Amino acid sequence: MKLNTTKYIIKEGIINTYRNALMSLASVGVVTASMIILGLFLVITINLTYNTDNLKEQPQMMVFCEPELDDKQVMVVEQTIRNDSRVKTHVYVSKKEAFEKTKDMLGNDKDVIEGLSESFMPVSFIIELNNLADAQSVVEAFKEIPGVGKVKYSQKTIDMLLKVATWVQVGNAVLIFILLVISMFIISNTIKLTVFARRKEINIMKYIGATDWFIRWPFVVEGVIIGLVGAVLGFVAISIGYGAFSSRFKEGIEIINFVNLRALQFEVIYTFLLVGIVVGALGSTISIRKYLRV
Amino acid sequence: MVEFRSVTKKYSNGTMALNNISVNINKGEFAFIVGQSGSGKSTMLKLILKEEDPTSGEVFVNGYNVSALKRKEIPYLRRSLGAVFQDFRLLPNKTVYENVAFAMQITEAYPKEIRRQVPMSLALVGLSKKANVYPGQLSGGEQQRVALARALVNNPALLIADEPTGNLDPDTSWEIMKLLSEVNCRGTTVIVATHEKGIVDSMKKRVIAIEKGSIVRDQEKGQYGDEVKYNQVYN
Repeated sequence: MKLNTTKYIIKEGIINTYRNALMSLASVGVVTASMIILGLFLVITINLTYNTDNLKEQPQMMVFCEPELDDKQVMVVEQTIRNDSRVKTHVYVSKKEAFEKTKDMLGNDKDVIEGLSESFMPVSFIIELNNLADAQSVVEAFKEIPGVGKVKYSQKTIDMLLKVATWVQVGNAVLIFILLVISMFIISNTIKLTVFARRKEINIMKYIGATDWFIRWPFVVEGVIIGLVGAVLGFVAISIGYGAFSSRFKEGIEIINFVNLRALQFEVIYTFLLVGIVVGALGSTISIRKYLRV
Repeated sequence: MVEFRSVTKKYSNGTMALNNISVNINKGEFAFIVGQSGSGKSTMLKLILKEEDPTSGEVFVNGYNVSALKRKEIPYLRRSLGAVFQDFRLLPNKTVYENVAFAMQITEAYPKEIRRQVPMSLALVGLSKKANVYPGQLSGGEQQRVALARALVNNPALLIADEPTGNLDPDTSWEIMKLLSEVNCRGTTVIVATHEKGIVDSMKKRVIAIEKGSIVRDQEKGQYGDEVKYNQVYN
């Protein structure tokens, strides 16, 4: 395609959008609305991924020694754990680290342990297993090690949460897909009105020997412009809405932490622009097909 | 230039538009196709433009075997000829200049060439002064002249006109026909479907008369209709 033709096509697409301002605005409105809903799902999915990733990083199994054990006895316990073939890795958490962690966890309420020394904290080991199926038997075995006070295993709860999260994500993906298909058809329908209003022009172009693509491209440009403007507006709406929402719940709700808007921005805008372009282009291509048969 | 070989066209609703017609129009000729509405003359032009395909037989235009042409090749056939219609078929959102230039843009002509050819074509039809006017602001005759300028801007070897004066008053019709005649004098083959009896009679060009899908008469320097006999007897 020659440069002049490309120029012509882009110019024509812009002029057409502008000449059918009202219709274009209607289409932009539809795209924006779809994009806002899409953005909602997207933000939920991203947050869910972020939060479940956090969950995954949490220790699976913790072995707490009795606080009064001395270093030598702790080493014996560590030796036993290390020698267990079912254990993949183990991390030593000292009394001091445990104390700091507790302080962190208490946050504003840390004066509760003010004045206490770290000596009352137990030494603990964070354990990762080779095979989660062994979990139950490992818990039983480690409980029997002399000097071990408690074995905490939270994997079941985490597993369940992860499972639920996965299903929610799958559900979201399906909903997003359906939504995209629906908005594509809405856009194609809106552009169909534009195409219909200009079917005479298309017909004339065919008569004087314009190729299908020569006729189609300006409409595709028009669709892409509509899709892009809708995407940008939708993005602005979502980022303002999400910004307000996440700053209101800065501390998160219960165990959920909200992803920072800045971090989200790029993922969302890329998705929006891409979806805007694809949906606009496909929508216009679908709607013009019928009128090219002359 | 244009050849119909045993062409039959039957529409899907059962109408027999053309019944086994064969006709040959040579390079540089000026031919009228005359006949009543529904006689099949428009169908002939539609076959030339490949708007319709013949039910049987073959159509050759400008070296293209039109009946065998693939869909993708149709635009190139249409670029090789100029066409003028009863309803002008101008783009309402484009100025006169843009309308004419458009026919060159679709062929991906260079802007330099477009800037040279379009004013020439507009001058030919006498509309240089109206270049920046929109078609809606022009009279019917002027609009048809714009359509003619557009049809000629690519210097086609063949010009076809389907009832070009159907929407015009007699004086304007004459202007258009004179223009078509001038175009023919410059070497372009011209085919005009019409039922303007007066014009056909006085222009003394080849006349192909169609009736109910068959060619009933094909005369050099012919006349429109039955008066032929009358004239022969009394003149």
